[in-house]
Amino acid sequence: MKTLIKLEILRVLRNKKFMFFSVIYPPLLFLIITAGTDPKAKLPGTDLSTVAYFMVAMSAFGAMTAVLMGNAERIAREREKGWVRQLRLTALPGRGYVTAKIASAATISLPSILLVMIVGAAVKQVRLDAWQWVAILLCSWAGSFVFAALGVAIGYVASADVARPISMIAYFALALLGGLWVPFTSFPQWMQNIAQYLPARPYAALGQAVELGDAPHVKDIAILLVYLLVFAGGAAYLYRKDTQKA
Amino acid sequence: MTAPAVQTATDGPTTGEPVVGFSGVNKSFGPVHAVADLTLTLHPGETVALLGPNGAGKSSALDLLLGLRNPDSGGIEVFGTTPAQAIAQGRVGAMLQSGGLMEDVTVREIISLACALHPRAYPVDEVLATADITDIGDRKVNRLSGGQEQRVRFALATAGDNDLIVLDEPTVGMDVTARQAFWATMRRRVDEGRTVLFATHYLEEADAIADRVLVLHRGRLIADGTAAEIKARAGARRITFDLQGAIDEPALRALPHLVGVEVSGATVRIRSDDADATMHAVYGLGLYPRNLEVAGLGLEQAFLAITDAASAEEAEER
Repeated sequence: MKTLIKLEILRVLRNKKFMFFSVIYPPLLFLIITAGTDPKAKLPGTDLSTVAYFMVAMSAFGAMTAVLMGNAERIAREREKGWVRQLRLTALPGRGYVTAKIASAATISLPSILLVMIVGAAVKQVRLDAWQWVAILLCSWAGSFVFAALGVAIGYVASADVARPISMIAYFALALLGGLWVPFTSFPQWMQNIAQYLPARPYAALGQAVELGDAPHVKDIAILLVYLLVFAGGAAYLYRKDTQKA
Repeated sequence: MTAPAVQTATDGPTTGEPVVGFSGVNKSFGPVHAVADLTLTLHPGETVALLGPNGAGKSSALDLLLGLRNPDSGGIEVFGTTPAQAIAQGRVGAMLQSGGLMEDVTVREIISLACALHPRAYPVDEVLATADITDIGDRKVNRLSGGQEQRVRFALATAGDNDLIVLDEPTVGMDVTARQAFWATMRRRVDEGRTVLFATHYLEEADAIADRVLVLHRGRLIADGTAAEIKARAGARRITFDLQGAIDEPALRALPHLVGVEVSGATVRIRSDDADATMHAVYGLGLYPRNLEVAGLGLEQAFLAITDAASAEEAEER
């Protein structure tokens, strides 16, 4: 299993074009979205500055892009080419495959999160304590595993042709409802109620709680864990059950 | 057409216990009955060819055997357990026709992976050498020729000490030399007591390599025996001659040792399992056959004869 994880990470690192765009896109979007924002402005009704809010939102968004878009389509393609069938003829357990895929996705999400944070500190003058920087990085990175698992699951449900549109829809809907583009607090109440239980809002909330000097909320962590289990468990089940003819 | 010597697998690790057992296995895809009531047993040390025209259910049967699909009904045992269990124990190695390869990695890396995943793996260098891919070890998997790719697949299937090796159309895309080298390697594995099951289109391969031939037709097992037995069943000899004047077909059909008769114009074609006796009777009828030819039937013709007969029977049943 270790060999597979190592190889999957190697493959991602070798795919330089994909790596480059996945890593460069979130900090760019962060700069564009906050271009006209006053660095001192606070989100209405909170102590959180708008720029800091978007820094976490964009690192979350960037991580989601990297892990969802990359994984789903690649896996669907690997399935169609028959590599997964070949792999199923080895002693590798289902969780091994899913773990390796999540690990390779996490390899891309880490630098993209880091870059957004560097831009936040260097260009947007976000000032936080050292522990907060570290905590935000860890939260954003760990949270990205949830979406990596979702990507694996989509790659299993969909064929290569539709894996990209499905992951696009999933990721736009989740990003929008999670308040990654528009501040969560500007949503009508009913939308806020729903968003709390979808994966992207709790994900961004982890880092935003840290920005306010708190620990991430237990409820958010619990929701994310449930999603991780469902997505990863579903993906592992589908890996073993896959009956798609190559 | 030389049948290989009977295997003596007394030193094999699986003596006695059946390697594979299918009992009444059915599998349909929509309206297509891909595998119909398949019952068969493979024994240790056998080299078995699975023959059949396209769409006969060969690949479906192998998928079921490997646990890649579940049967609709019936039972499948591999080494006395489920296919998935047998694979997890590293007892089965398989080379799929549709087995894709991982991209963006080198040949050596993908083989290292196969070795790392196999519970009874051989050293990587040995696997590369056996499959004759040591020289392309540093090449990217997606930059290989068809034949090289096939050898990499073979290496994946034999990365460890498997008791059963399943090969689906293993030599497709290989040139003659590569094919011969491939079967030489396979023979060594068989000599070590392993069981080999391979599906093939190349009848000469089945004829030369297998000591047992299974013929599948529309998902049904319609013949099971040595290549020689199957040829005999189809009528070992083909007799062709011309007759002058009106041909008395019913009299021809009454000839002894007949497997089939076909009359077209003045030409009579007979398949017989004893050409001497049949021809003796032809002369006994007072006929004067001209342009007489008697030829041995290849496995290919035997195969066609058997599948034709099976199709005709099915048509009659309707």
